[in-house]
Amino acid sequence: MSALSDPPTMAFLCRADLKLSAGKLAVQCAHAAVASLQHAKKTHSRMVQRWKESASRKICLAVDDEEEIEYFLKLVQEASLPFALIKDAGLTEVVAGTVTVLGVGPAPRHTMDSLFGELKTYE
Amino acid sequence: MIDVGFRSFLHRITAPKFEPFVKNNQPLKMVFVINHELKMGKGKIAAQVGHAAVKATLQSGELRPELLDAWLSTGQKKVCVKAHDVRQLEQIEHQAKHHQILTSKIHDAGHTQIPAGSYTVLALGPDEEEKLDALTGELKLL
Repeated sequence: MSALSDPPTMAFLCRADLKLSAGKLAVQCAHAAVASLQHAKKTHSRMVQRWKESASRKICLAVDDEEEIEYFLKLVQEASLPFALIKDAGLTEVVAGTVTVLGVGPAPRHTMDSLFGELKTYE
Repeated sequence: MIDVGFRSFLHRITAPKFEPFVKNNQPLKMVFVINHELKMGKGKIAAQVGHAAVKATLQSGELRPELLDAWLSTGQKKVCVKAHDVRQLEQIEHQAKHHQILTSKIHDAGHTQIPAGSYTVLALGPDEEEKLDALTGELKLL
């Protein structure tokens, strides 16, 4: 598969059951993006470089609840991809320590598709 | 001086010192201003803000590393507000540059939901809360 058809991707798995406002969700994803990038810089520096040079593709996917996030967290750890699990400080909409978003990547698009192919994009 | 090379020893004496980054430990934050006229979905907005956060982080790492470190170690506070249209975004961007606040703007590639090249998000900072509130304080939270 050529590099062009396989742009490195970062995915955000967002809990749909929390029904966060758009702003809150956006900020949580931003946390995940920065944190996952910091992690990936150390362990996957070449992938990060390729991701930055391409379109820095990002997708936002919906998961049902915390259990589902934990299920995918295990898959991600087994695949040794960079990730960041975001727990909210609980200052505004949810109680402190609530898991809100799992950020994964950057990783090759086909890896993401095989892991998260069944998930829908967050509406 | 024994375990230090001569050049790095010289550098240590002559290099300009970093300015102390924040006076009186002012709290820092990063602000995202969303272009609300585009009517993007929640997931779309989240991805755009993700772009902006990464861009702003990388940029501040190059230009103001002392601000970035302080922001990262104090819980990396982020806030999301909305602007009516592109004109308001550009106005805020202009003011921010005037006050020497770091700005990162995101234009969408237009693969989904909105036309290509749309100005979606403006990220400000990380910088002192007071300075950012002066620019975005009257905008509504998203």
